Amino acid sequence: MRAFQMQCRAEIIRVTRNRYFVFWSLLMPILLYYIFTNVVNTHASDQTAWQAHYLMSMTAFSVMGSSIMTLGIRMVQERTQGWSAFIRITPLSDRIYFAAQMAGQSFIHLLSITIIFIAGALINGVSLTALEWLLSGLWILIGSFPFLALGTLIGLMKKVETAAGVSNVLYMVLAVAGGMWIPLEVMPKTMQTIGKWLPSYNFGNGAWEIVHDGTPNWNNILILIAYSALFMLLSKYIRRKQEAV
Amino acid sequence: MNDVVCLRNVTKSFHQRLVVDDVSFSLKAGEVVAILGPNGAGKTTTISMILGLIKPTDGAVLLFNRQPHEKQVRERIGTMLQEVSVIPGLKVREILELIRSYYAQPLSTDELINLTGLTDQDLITRAEKLSGGQKRRLSFALALAGNPELIIFDEPTVGMDISSRNRFWETVRMLAAQGKSIIFSTHYLQEADDAAGRILLFNEGKIVADGTPEEIKARISKQTVSFIIDPDVSLEKLYLHDEIKDIYRKNNRVYVQSDHTDRILEFIFQEKIGARDILVERGKLDDAFQQLTSSNKEAI
Ligand SMILES: Nc1ncnc2c1ncn2[C@@H]1O[C@H](COP(=O)(O)OP(=O)(O)OP(=O)(O)O)[C@@H](O)[C@H]1O
Ligand SMILES: [Mg+2]
Repeated sequence: MRAFQMQCRAEIIRVTRNRYFVFWSLLMPILLYYIFTNVVNTHASDQTAWQAHYLMSMTAFSVMGSSIMTLGIRMVQERTQGWSAFIRITPLSDRIYFAAQMAGQSFIHLLSITIIFIAGALINGVSLTALEWLLSGLWILIGSFPFLALGTLIGLMKKVETAAGVSNVLYMVLAVAGGMWIPLEVMPKTMQTIGKWLPSYNFGNGAWEIVHDGTPNWNNILILIAYSALFMLLSKYIRRKQEAV
Repeated sequence: MNDVVCLRNVTKSFHQRLVVDDVSFSLKAGEVVAILGPNGAGKTTTISMILGLIKPTDGAVLLFNRQPHEKQVRERIGTMLQEVSVIPGLKVREILELIRSYYAQPLSTDELINLTGLTDQDLITRAEKLSGGQKRRLSFALALAGNPELIIFDEPTVGMDISSRNRFWETVRMLAAQGKSIIFSTHYLQEADDAAGRILLFNEGKIVADGTPEEIKARISKQTVSFIIDPDVSLEKLYLHDEIKDIYRKNNRVYVQSDHTDRILEFIFQEKIGARDILVERGKLDDAFQQLTSSNKEAI
């Protein structure tokens, strides 16, 4: 139990000391949030609703990013640099190690969500009911699961460079095509059709619904579950193939 | 059956290429054993199998009479891998605390610092910013963190300066004196000779010799008796003695190779062949070692 706590603590310290994390997961979303709600005129009919909507977009964007990138790249690094091999000969079990990474990562997400929400409240005075803050935060925290699974999938890659490249591209494509940067409604019809099937859109949409006095749609939940299952099965399959050598 | 480590007919091949070939040996508690061999001899592969990092293609590896990956085994071993790796983003002291927390009865941080010579400056440095030698020191401390009974080092002194190296071997001797079992790999006969009570000589995946440093040295360094002799004198008579391994002439001198040079001297005088200027020499150990472990496949 002590090992688990220490491991969680270590994971959290490592992430917060990582400059890329601070830039990509905190500064960047807050900056984008400021720009698209204050500097650029988006011609939104309801400015208050747009500010709340875009706050959710950016928070989801941040959490999705650290799920895919931080976790995946770190896994590849630890393996290629031999740290995983060292951990394997210590009494720490694989399960506790993995659980601690997930728990540490979730704590980091909680931190990001809190910071970005506060930034939204300070920058634009976004005001939601306590329940809305809570539910949207929880949704983003829990809904990030398929992206964590995607992160572990990327974590199976052989080289850090490939993992970094692939996760960057995936991250950006998912964000843009899923309507996190610009709402799907203003995109061409085909983009909209595709976007609705992406995990990023369904992730964001749950939070958007919550702040627009609704609840996440069932198909949002189902699609996220389906993606989680897909990514987990894939990584299980790949891991088995890698072990066979 | 109280072996700390036991390998039975262990074989490993990668893509049909035999890398470790039918290796068997066992280690008693308190032994210090060097795995000596040139690049590609299979040292790291053997060590990886002992540690349970890779599975043997064939044969069995037991540590404390258990499988290497069992938790009870992990509690009792410590290791320094050939590729030192440290976890980035954490300071040395934080890493020490983290790894100590994995073990039921770890050494205290102060003891680890004393044993390995980590400095106060090292302790507050982030692992990725350490120099190669400092990383080795950290990695040494991590190997000892759990107060292991069996310690395994794969080429531990690569990248250490002379004083760190001396300090490292001093600590190893102290650990050995405490009764720890130690396995380390090295390229250098000298290192193996200085630190180990037993050497396993590896070449091309096989153990080609297993014994005390003295036995190994006697085995691999050739002794010769050389002398000057009238070119007309036949050496026929000497050929008859089977103590003699080899005879050749070089620059007017006759060289006779044997493990028992005293006996050769006896023959020379008995046969009255008129040898002058007799020299008894022991070949250079390093040369012999190099010859033994270079690509020639002759068994000794
Ligand atoms: N994962 C692997 N896949 C394929 N071949 C491998 C693998 N690991 C090792 N080998 C091969 O096995 C042989 C023995 O390698 P090993 O690392 O055990 O040698 P070593 O004695 O530790 O050498 P060194 O002194 O250079 O560290 C080498 O020829 C190497 O190419
Ligand atoms: Mg090696």
